[in-house]
Amino acid sequence: MNATLTLTKLDVLRVRRNTRYLILAIAMPAVLYIAVGNSTKQTSGVEFKAYYMLAMATYGAFAGALMNNAARISTERKTGWTRQLQLTPLPGGGYVFSKIVASLVTTIPSVVVVFVLGGTVFHVHMDAWKWVVIALVLWLTSMVFVSLAVAIGYRFDPDATQPAVMLVFFPMAILGGLWFPLEGTLEKIGKWFPTYQAHKLGTDIISTGRISMESVGIIAGWAVVFAALAVVSYRSAQEQ
Amino acid sequence: MSPDTRTPNGAVVEFENVSKTFASPKGPVHAVNGLSMSMQAGQTIAFLGPNGAGKSTSLNMLLGLSRPDSGRVALFGGSASDAIKRGMVGAMLQSGGLMSEVTVREQVQLWAKLHPRPIPVAEALKRANIADLADRRVDKLSGGQQQRVQFAMAIIGDSPLIVLDEPTTGMDVENRQAFWATMRERALEGKTVLFATHYLDEADQFAERVIVINKGRLLADGTAAQIKASAGAKRLSFRLPGVADADLYRLPNLVHVERQADVVRLQTSDSDATLYALLDAGYRPADIEIQALGLEQAFLAITAEDNNHGAGAGAGTGIGNLEAAR
Repeated sequence: MNATLTLTKLDVLRVRRNTRYLILAIAMPAVLYIAVGNSTKQTSGVEFKAYYMLAMATYGAFAGALMNNAARISTERKTGWTRQLQLTPLPGGGYVFSKIVASLVTTIPSVVVVFVLGGTVFHVHMDAWKWVVIALVLWLTSMVFVSLAVAIGYRFDPDATQPAVMLVFFPMAILGGLWFPLEGTLEKIGKWFPTYQAHKLGTDIISTGRISMESVGIIAGWAVVFAALAVVSYRSAQEQ
Repeated sequence: MSPDTRTPNGAVVEFENVSKTFASPKGPVHAVNGLSMSMQAGQTIAFLGPNGAGKSTSLNMLLGLSRPDSGRVALFGGSASDAIKRGMVGAMLQSGGLMSEVTVREQVQLWAKLHPRPIPVAEALKRANIADLADRRVDKLSGGQQQRVQFAMAIIGDSPLIVLDEPTTGMDVENRQAFWATMRERALEGKTVLFATHYLDEADQFAERVIVINKGRLLADGTAAQIKASAGAKRLSFRLPGVADADLYRLPNLVHVERQADVVRLQTSDSDATLYALLDAGYRPADIEIQALGLEQAFLAITAEDNNHGAGAGAGTGIGNLEAAR
């Protein structure tokens, strides 16, 4: 366990040193929020500035969890780093464990930065417990995308990983209403995606203080599917 | 080393009739084909073979990175993963990568934390001659420098078995010497050092034992001197204007013939017999020189001979393979 934690700490440090990650998962959502969020409209039962705050926090957390981990796992398999680790007393699942925990740690600033902007620059108001619960929900839901990252990273070469991630994540982000609010048919399709439902958990908590079981169910369904894909990819990679 | 780290007969590495076959577009490739060998604690062993001889495949099976199709591989009497879990193995692989976005010290420190009985990080950095690089980013180093980082990682666990795959590739002369000096110290501490290399002079100087494999099988096993002797590695050269090629090829015990105008160079397994036959044929060569050959020529001789005898192997000559590897 000690060995695994040491690897995890170093993995966190590496992500923090990675400029691409800081831009993609923290700076970009924050800048977009400042650029787009200034509006007095109402959307999905909440103020637009709150809607977009949740959208950008969700986007940053999920993009960070998925893109960063998929690229790293794929590259580290290619360069032989994972083989190198296999020649140490590190327990078998230690590598993936460290990626998951490191991802949970590095996702926090994506949510916090956008929330702080919302609270200070845009004066989004809600009860203190709602801030905390929404942040926790988004944070934990990002795990779903870590599983997907493991599934992709263990399946594809580094060259193919980037397109694979884009192909999966951008439709999910758009149909999840993370870039702009959805209406009509798009929303009917979008509501089946975990991005949409994670964001909706947030707007529901702000407007009603409740969590919808439908949202939780749909996210859990995706979590199971991605985790199963992750296990399949991981196993087939180990057998090579 | 504690007594439980050895099997009763002291074998650190055991291969028992090990085979491994890969599928390829041209049909199955028998990378390792009934290989048996055993290595004792405290030995320093060079593991040689032309490209495609099955060295990497064997090392991968030895380290538990791949499984043999048949036969048995044991490390310290048990499975490779077991030995590795107990910190018994320090390895440096050609295919092994390093972390990105970390410094040399952080990288080596991680390895120290992963192993149960590490030597101090500063000591490992010093032995690998990278103390001055400690705060540099690993991904910004040159190939030779990264190789030395890998070397520090291989020794930091103070493991009783050290496995090195082409350890000095990309190192300059100074670092190669420092590397072997450090390895010699590890050997004196009683560690088993197994290394694969393309630099045969390293094997000649450093290994107490040389194992040569070819086409996935054991070809020779002994001291460098024994292998040189068994290869009949003597070079007989002389000047002889007007000698017919046919007469040269008829000489006994030839391994290799080379001719440049009047100068003839023969590699022979029995230089006396070859020379006497030449004289008996009525020739009187000038400037006769008989020279003992190095391990490299011995290696080339025995692999070439093996390839010529092997029916339908079609893998080219050992010479060609070795040259291609450079």
